[in-house]
Amino acid sequence: MIRHSSGFRRRSLLAGASGAAVMAAAAACGGDGPAGTADDPIEISFEWWGDGARAEITQQAVDLFEEKNVGVKVRTNFADFPTYWESMTTRMAAKDLPDVLNMDYSRLLQFGGNGLLLPLEGVVDTSDFIEGFLDTGHVNGELVAVPIAGNTLGLIHRDDWWGDAGVTLEAGYTWEDYHRSIATVSATLDEGKWGGGDYAGQYHFMELWLRQQGGSFYTEDGKALNFDQDTLVAWWSMTQDLQAAGDVPPIDVSSQWAPENGFVLDAVGADLGWDNFLAWYSPTVAENGGTLALAAPPTLDPTNLGLYLKPSMQLCVSATTKYPEQSGKLIDFLLTDPEAIAILGTNRGVPATNVGRDNVEIDAIAQQVLDYEASVEQYLTAPPPPPPAATGGIEVKFGEIYEQVLFGELAPDAAAATFFTEAETLLAAEQ
Amino acid sequence: MSASSPTTAPSLGRAGAADAPPQRPSRGAAKRRSSAVRGGERLVGYTFMVPWLIGTAVLTIGPMAWSLYLSFTDYHLIRGGSWVGAANYTAIFSDPMFARAVKVTVVYVLVAVPVKLVASLLVAMLLSQQRRGMGFYRAAFYMPSLIAMSVGVALIWKALFSNDGAQDRLMSAFGWEGGGFLGNPSVSILMLVLLAVWSFGAPMVIFLAGLMQVPQELYEAADVDGASKWKKFVHITLPMLSPVIFFNVLMETVGAFQLFGPAYIIGGEAGTPAWSTLFYTVRIYTLAFTDFRMGYASAYAWLLVVAVGIVTVIMFRAARGLVFYAGEDQR
Repeated sequence: MIRHSSGFRRRSLLAGASGAAVMAAAAACGGDGPAGTADDPIEISFEWWGDGARAEITQQAVDLFEEKNVGVKVRTNFADFPTYWESMTTRMAAKDLPDVLNMDYSRLLQFGGNGLLLPLEGVVDTSDFIEGFLDTGHVNGELVAVPIAGNTLGLIHRDDWWGDAGVTLEAGYTWEDYHRSIATVSATLDEGKWGGGDYAGQYHFMELWLRQQGGSFYTEDGKALNFDQDTLVAWWSMTQDLQAAGDVPPIDVSSQWAPENGFVLDAVGADLGWDNFLAWYSPTVAENGGTLALAAPPTLDPTNLGLYLKPSMQLCVSATTKYPEQSGKLIDFLLTDPEAIAILGTNRGVPATNVGRDNVEIDAIAQQVLDYEASVEQYLTAPPPPPPAATGGIEVKFGEIYEQVLFGELAPDAAAATFFTEAETLLAAEQ
Repeated sequence: MSASSPTTAPSLGRAGAADAPPQRPSRGAAKRRSSAVRGGERLVGYTFMVPWLIGTAVLTIGPMAWSLYLSFTDYHLIRGGSWVGAANYTAIFSDPMFARAVKVTVVYVLVAVPVKLVASLLVAMLLSQQRRGMGFYRAAFYMPSLIAMSVGVALIWKALFSNDGAQDRLMSAFGWEGGGFLGNPSVSILMLVLLAVWSFGAPMVIFLAGLMQVPQELYEAADVDGASKWKKFVHITLPMLSPVIFFNVLMETVGAFQLFGPAYIIGGEAGTPAWSTLFYTVRIYTLAFTDFRMGYASAYAWLLVVAVGIVTVIMFRAARGLVFYAGEDQR
């Protein structure tokens, strides 16, 4: 009886298997033809980083895209910035990237240099980008990324707290001025709120500081760090006094904020940051009864703020996509369709295309960003070459090791030595 | 992967199997069957095993051999690599992160395994009593081990141990000033120890089975001699349970060395706060999938294999003098 039943099973299994084979063959034929009809839609995937609010408007724009392009379905996904990159790097190994993905300038070489991104010439309409914006999307002479928007660094601060404390900052103020201001503001605030954040754990801010001295973070060829350990010790000691005086949040508090942020949590009154972050922070700050403002960053040299215009986010197509045409269409749609632009607004920054700038609704926050960018335009200098492929890892290590300093686990000089070992290993591994 | 899988429990009392472990020659029930097994039967046996043999070869042995090879290369996940000899292994010993990861992992093993086993033995002894509703309690205490390795529980753990979380509030009431464990590198590993202890279900069930096997007449004889509860525990329960204890110590230790999921979710790649949850496996993961240094990561992994192997051998050696198997002659 058992034997009989297993024989029966085997036959049905065979039938099932051959059926599946036929289906697979049919599906393969479908894939070769002009795919994407209402009855037989194709599916592309699109992923980005960001929060729930960004996801909501992006999904609306994607829905509109599906409506206008019958037969193309878009599977979307998003995560916060660190999680997004953990996922992407893991899937990069499996060559399983989404068809359309959100790219960061610091990761461009890592992905583009390893041949994982599709050259976009002829795939994406590049005719409408604002002058100079496409320059940062090239790897080995080929365009592999198009910018969604541009941004630059600035000092984001709570206008209300700083105003109440009577502190104003004129462009060209020094880092010492900034530290004194933080202390002044902190003194006027309740417990659990601080005048400013500890900025020394971010490699972008050290890069700004190095550029103010005429230096850079990496050498021109991107094969080594362009500063010595003493310089790093000096940088990591910048906020020492503020930490000691309790004028910036202590690490055991701030390390628990992720994925939220000091502004959103109503805890921090100022921090260096990308100007387009204003769109992220401002609504929540407003709910807490506050207002945010942008100012030029502190500087070592009043004539050189170290600023440059960076693509805030880029869009790329995976080299392994089955549907380059539809993927390109989605990018075109997001960047140049007036309706899509109206939906997306300035959440990712002020658009990088002319049609984008003409059609986006400039709200008060976007106007603040535009005004700020206009005010520092005279200080913007040429962007550094795309950072080396190891930058993503180095950025993470930079923050991680500075955390050791704050926790008192490593002295600044030991931490700097550790960072150099790690960074040099990572740079060597990518060459 | 995890040692808490209940399917690896020792087959207590199933002595009739042809390949019964030699260290458990139990109760004379085992016939000398192996000589009687005919070739044909053996063939049938192996035929039934074919799927698993293929699975082992393709999914375990193959990848292991490949990773052993990779550990002697500078293999980059995307770009490939070439043979570098033992360079990875020598580099590891001057890698500051290696010492960190080893320290965190060893501390965890040394703390979590004993605490978890004592807790699970105590609960198993409570649950071995004959009371009403015992089935419910056994299920209830086993339950956490089914979900402890999940992402959801790790996230709940994070919330429990953050500043102003349950642990911080509770302990602050008693004068604690260290805040949530999540932000305090000197105690953050306790979060993971407590998570391990909370999920003691697998060793508990095995202890429970072991306790049920202890012959009641031994206790009765001890009662006649007027032995105290403690004496009975030390002189009857512990020796009779020693094979089960050994099994649990072994499995939990091996499992603890491999802890990854909760550590990764709670501490992330950076092992926050301050590398205090930078477990060895988390370091391997970061090297392999963030830094793409597959060759180096493989060397890391193989050192772990060797280390766990050595620990296991030491345990088996130590067990010879400590573990008592029923049916053996008393020394």
